Amino acid sequence: MPGPTNSGARTPSWTGRLVRSLLLWILPAVVVWLLITPFYNRFLSVAGEQLARLTEFPGVTRLYIQETHQVLVTRSDMSGKQAFVYKFRLTDLHFNLILTVALFLAVPAVEKRRRFENLGWALLVSVCFHILVLFFYVKFVYSTQLGAWSNEHYGAFAQNLWGFGKHLLDLPIKLALPFILWAGFYFQDFQHHVRRT
Amino acid sequence: MRAPPKPPPAASAWSRYRRELGFLILFVLILGTTFTLISWNPVNDRVIEPFTGAIARAGGATLNLLGQQTTMSGTIIRNDRFAVNIRNGCNGVEAMLIYFAAVLAFPASWRSRLLGVVLGFVAIQLVNLVRVVALFLTGVYFPRLFDSSHTVIWQTIVILSGVLLWILWANRFAELHPGDPAAASDAPSA
Repeated sequence: MPGPTNSGARTPSWTGRLVRSLLLWILPAVVVWLLITPFYNRFLSVAGEQLARLTEFPGVTRLYIQETHQVLVTRSDMSGKQAFVYKFRLTDLHFNLILTVALFLAVPAVEKRRRFENLGWALLVSVCFHILVLFFYVKFVYSTQLGAWSNEHYGAFAQNLWGFGKHLLDLPIKLALPFILWAGFYFQDFQHHVRRT
Repeated sequence: MRAPPKPPPAASAWSRYRRELGFLILFVLILGTTFTLISWNPVNDRVIEPFTGAIARAGGATLNLLGQQTTMSGTIIRNDRFAVNIRNGCNGVEAMLIYFAAVLAFPASWRSRLLGVVLGFVAIQLVNLVRVVALFLTGVYFPRLFDSSHTVIWQTIVILSGVLLWILWANRFAELHPGDPAAASDAPSA
């Protein structure tokens, strides 16, 4: 019975395979994200508008997509040019989906079904997060970006709440979310393989 | 006739997911605390702004080596064709905080955590310097691509670099803390 042969080739470690797969999955994730962005921006503008109007009596916020990537914030209780309140790049709120998809699909030694199931849950959380960020962005605009109108309608506490909340969600949490979600599902796998490398 | 043995009680959610919950809670706490700290005006004015100014000077000096003839004023880099203001989000600080939080929350010795923090500071700032230079050149030669390069492409690259760096650190440099249960399980048996 032939014994095991040693070809001298090193088996890539789990973390080595993770890093390699992560770099390989980035480009397909970018392509998919670019394709869905126009539709996702429309979905987000509708969802964000509905969430904002839930907190308004009567509901006055309207969000319009312009040139695929921009969102116009308008208020129906203002007339003429004043109704157009603010404009910003909606696409900048959800580019973290690229890293989320790449991280979740790059995990080695995990069956495909489990990887896609976990990715599904991560995407669901990400969508809810994007709607929340958009909601905070709209409130941030109303409370701090409209000069005298903001000061008249929002007190110092509300301005700090919406301003800091938007800042916190739009920067560190948005950027860290792919890693947070990935660690939530795969931290034990990672720790197990790191300790044994 | 003896009754069959009772099956062991199912592990609670906390005991099953203790490690990742512990890591994530600590990670979010550290990230939230450090970000709140740098958002505080005295810290922002005395630490972050000067730090960002230093990044602008380093970026401008690098661009001058490439023949761009830039001048720097505070956090602004400009030449006769383009100008860019480096603000929070583009100074690498958030990426560093995310990386630091991941290193500090990971169960490892304090010596290896310190090594990870130092390694991460240098590496992420190098990547960020490349970002600043590349974005300025994009603004000069491909201005229509600046917006998407600024957020989508380079933010993704910087955060991806932080994640890869953390994987490298955890894999190569993170020594087990003496109290880590994994240290006991890895110890050779007598």
